[in-house]
Amino acid sequence: MSFLSLIWLIFLPLVIAGVIMLPVFPNHQVRVRRFAKWFAGFHFAYALLFLAFFDTSLYGMSFEKELTFFGMSWLKSLGISAKFAVDGISLLMVVLTTFVVLITLFMSKIHIRSKHKLYYAMVFLLECAILGIFCSKDMFMFFVFWELSLIPVYFLVSQWGNSEARRAAMKFTLASFVCNMFLFFGMLILYYYNFAVSNVLTANIESLNMDEKIYPLWFQVTVFVNFLIGFVIRVPFAGFHNWYPDIQNKAAAPVNILLSGMLLNTGVYGIIRFNMQVFPEIFKLFAPVLMIWSVVNIVYCGALSIVQPEVKKMVAYANVATMGFVMMGLASLNSTGFNGAVFMALAATIVYCALFVVISCVQFRTKTTYITALGGLGQVMPKCMYLSLIVCFASVGVPFLVMFAPKMMVITGALFSNLEQQLMVKLVAFIGLLAIAVSAGYIMYFFYKVFCSVLLEQWKKLKDLSPQEASVLSALCLVIIYLGVCPMSIVQIYQSVSSIILDVLQV
Amino acid sequence: MSELVSAYLPELIIIVFILFNLLASLFFNTYLYKLSKWVTLLGIVFALASTFYLQIEPEAYAFDGSFLSNIYTVFFKILILISGFFLTLLSRNMIREKRDRAFEYFSVFLSGILFAMCAVSATDFVGLFVSLEALGLSCYMLLSFTKSPDAKQLTFGYLVQGAVVSSLFLAGLSVLYGMCAHVDYQQIGLYFSQNQPQILLTFCLVLMTCTILFKLGLVPFSSWLPDTFQGASYPIAAYMSCVPVLACFGVLSRMLMILLNYTFTMKIVFACIAVITILLGSLSAIRQESLKRLMAYSMSVHSGIMLLGLCVFSVYSVSGVLFYLFCYIFSNIGAWSAIILLYDSGKLENLNDLKGLIYHRPYYVIAFTVVLISLAGIAPTCGFVSKLYMASAVARSGFVFLPYLIISLLAFVIMIYAYWRIIRAMFRRIETNISIDNNVISSKFILYACAFATVGICLFSDKIIQLCQLVAYYM
Repeated sequence: MSFLSLIWLIFLPLVIAGVIMLPVFPNHQVRVRRFAKWFAGFHFAYALLFLAFFDTSLYGMSFEKELTFFGMSWLKSLGISAKFAVDGISLLMVVLTTFVVLITLFMSKIHIRSKHKLYYAMVFLLECAILGIFCSKDMFMFFVFWELSLIPVYFLVSQWGNSEARRAAMKFTLASFVCNMFLFFGMLILYYYNFAVSNVLTANIESLNMDEKIYPLWFQVTVFVNFLIGFVIRVPFAGFHNWYPDIQNKAAAPVNILLSGMLLNTGVYGIIRFNMQVFPEIFKLFAPVLMIWSVVNIVYCGALSIVQPEVKKMVAYANVATMGFVMMGLASLNSTGFNGAVFMALAATIVYCALFVVISCVQFRTKTTYITALGGLGQVMPKCMYLSLIVCFASVGVPFLVMFAPKMMVITGALFSNLEQQLMVKLVAFIGLLAIAVSAGYIMYFFYKVFCSVLLEQWKKLKDLSPQEASVLSALCLVIIYLGVCPMSIVQIYQSVSSIILDVLQV
Repeated sequence: MSELVSAYLPELIIIVFILFNLLASLFFNTYLYKLSKWVTLLGIVFALASTFYLQIEPEAYAFDGSFLSNIYTVFFKILILISGFFLTLLSRNMIREKRDRAFEYFSVFLSGILFAMCAVSATDFVGLFVSLEALGLSCYMLLSFTKSPDAKQLTFGYLVQGAVVSSLFLAGLSVLYGMCAHVDYQQIGLYFSQNQPQILLTFCLVLMTCTILFKLGLVPFSSWLPDTFQGASYPIAAYMSCVPVLACFGVLSRMLMILLNYTFTMKIVFACIAVITILLGSLSAIRQESLKRLMAYSMSVHSGIMLLGLCVFSVYSVSGVLFYLFCYIFSNIGAWSAIILLYDSGKLENLNDLKGLIYHRPYYVIAFTVVLISLAGIAPTCGFVSKLYMASAVARSGFVFLPYLIISLLAFVIMIYAYWRIIRAMFRRIETNISIDNNVISSKFILYACAFATVGICLFSDKIIQLCQLVAYYM
């Protein structure tokens, strides 16, 4: 399996981005696009090979590789090295990321009309950064990729969005930089306190376990909160969520798919990797708070979703609300909840990508996203309607579709959680259960408004999905149905990892 | 004689070339003005080559021990000479405008470099004072090369304030001499290790550091910076953001090594100055429309970060400052070369002029963006590694400086916004008809070289950090 190298997996998109930007590369939009699509397809296949050769019974990291520069590791004198490895959770996220990029590139053709070279280079730069986040074994390397991912997001949103996109992109970038500084600060003091206690200068995540050493409680809490601030803005959580609907509303349609598929997962991954693995004791302490926060997220963002006048904002708020379920599962501190939460993050990515694909098809034809201006499109776009019906059912949590199993796992996990505040836990799980019904409300409202109500005069001549769009949507629907029918095929990949994490965490 | 050569060779070479430039200015001024640039470059290259023949182990002294040569001073000399090399290339259009004074210009330019090198090497306060004053004088003279009366008025404040703070330095020095009866660094250090330091030491330190804080544009003395930069020609503004900064940090870390260990209060004072500088500098920077003024505040903010690293004062933090300077020089000169290219090719000097540049000059814009990202300390460039190293040095020193660290990190985000405004303007989707015909190969070369260097240093930063640690250890 020597051909499976994480270094190639992560940095190949970067190389391709450089190649696309070269002056000698033809500035012809069809060639750039085809080259990008071919590469993305190849890259997705390469990532699938990792999944095929992954040993699910292995506890811990596999495919470990270090990036060296002529035999030297990066910043060795600071104890920082560019080491990469994956475990079950990160491998699934990696595969999903490459899949999302492929889908985005298929949907880019009709929406991206200018600066093709820059666009495809930025997509691959973003892919490189996100893959780096999932694979880094080193805390500061993680941070490097974490910051690197902001630059392409800024350009993708501001260059190809509508007229207000620049402001939204700037808001997101600055807010992220502020939160990143908290993250950076937390990493720095963790790094040096670890050095002071163990006398080993290292930033390797596995050797930074706060559990074994003697750290004062206030110190752990400080570092934990710093990390949490850094991550919740990406998840995003109620209170930190404002940028997400804003940016999704103003960005171009393929960028919507890219962002909903990539950014949110990194936040969840950060919370699992750092807040749960490095500070298990403090996570236990904070679990009730996070539980309440998650239910606030579900209810508040769900309520906001219903009243939005625009389709994109509506789906974006629904996405944020779904992330509340992820947090609820993580905070319930048992294996059912945890497995459900990770599955939920993956499922939400697929489902919301599919919803944004639907929106992009509608937006391309009608040039509007206002819900009052749409209606009855099902009469002229039947293919689109039936495929999006599957997607909407999946998002609601209909059995045998992808979202059913994780939602049930999360709610069950929360109901049978062993946290001390039993009454609160039961109440939260009950509200979560009710919120599933509410979420059915807003997603089906979206479906009804767009596809079912009275057909307006000006939309009578719309065309149905092109073969390319139809194939993208059906591919997503196939994934949705497959994962809904056999959810354990996903869960068994990361079961061994979750058992390690939960060994320490279980109350 | 051999003593002089082993410690003083680069300075000797520079002096020879200053004299040559002065003589040449008498005979062939208008016709062969282009020659002056190449002569200066030759001198700097010779001086750079000669640094490898300097004796550094064991330390070499010249002029009865008042001039030191060790690995630390050689490190700074190499940095000063490299930036001098780049700045000479950037002066191209400056000397085209003033053909009759080209040789004169370069003789003053080289003497600034000479005294910056001398200031780092000085082992006593008298030599230090003379070198810093001479460096200041050459800065004043360079500023006077700008002709417009408006500019003279703007730079006048610099001259007056500079005169005031250098007299403060002398006052502090006289009090220090009165205490220990020495002006030599080592003797003063010895004195304070045997005697209990008095409150007077703090007083001296305050007075003496004023002049250095002034040159770095740190907070109580930062008012001259934007006006002077606005008045100065572009290459001279670039010069003032590199050479004095290098000299002052070379001096400051040696000076504080002796004096700062005895007064903890002063450490806190310096940390406060650093944090306030970063805050005020970045808050002012986000309102600027002129690129020059923005870069002036940028220099001030970066000096603040380095001062925060320095006031922690360990071998580790000094090496952090050295590495930060190394990265700062490349990013800063890269940014200035981009700005100078713009000005030379179309008199563009405001943020609004940059709108939609991506459509006309995509590769120029990308290189400029890389350099700005490095200045902003964002991930895949050397600016990030230097920020990481500096912050880790502060975090390592204990809990006292942590509040200052988090405030300055957050304040630095404001500065990121200031840099981001330039990038945003360049990527603006507005069709403008800017005509840029930049065929200035030297400035282009510097811009692309610096953009590559910022990424390259990030990848190979380990070796450079080890070098900086070695240098700091031998200091």
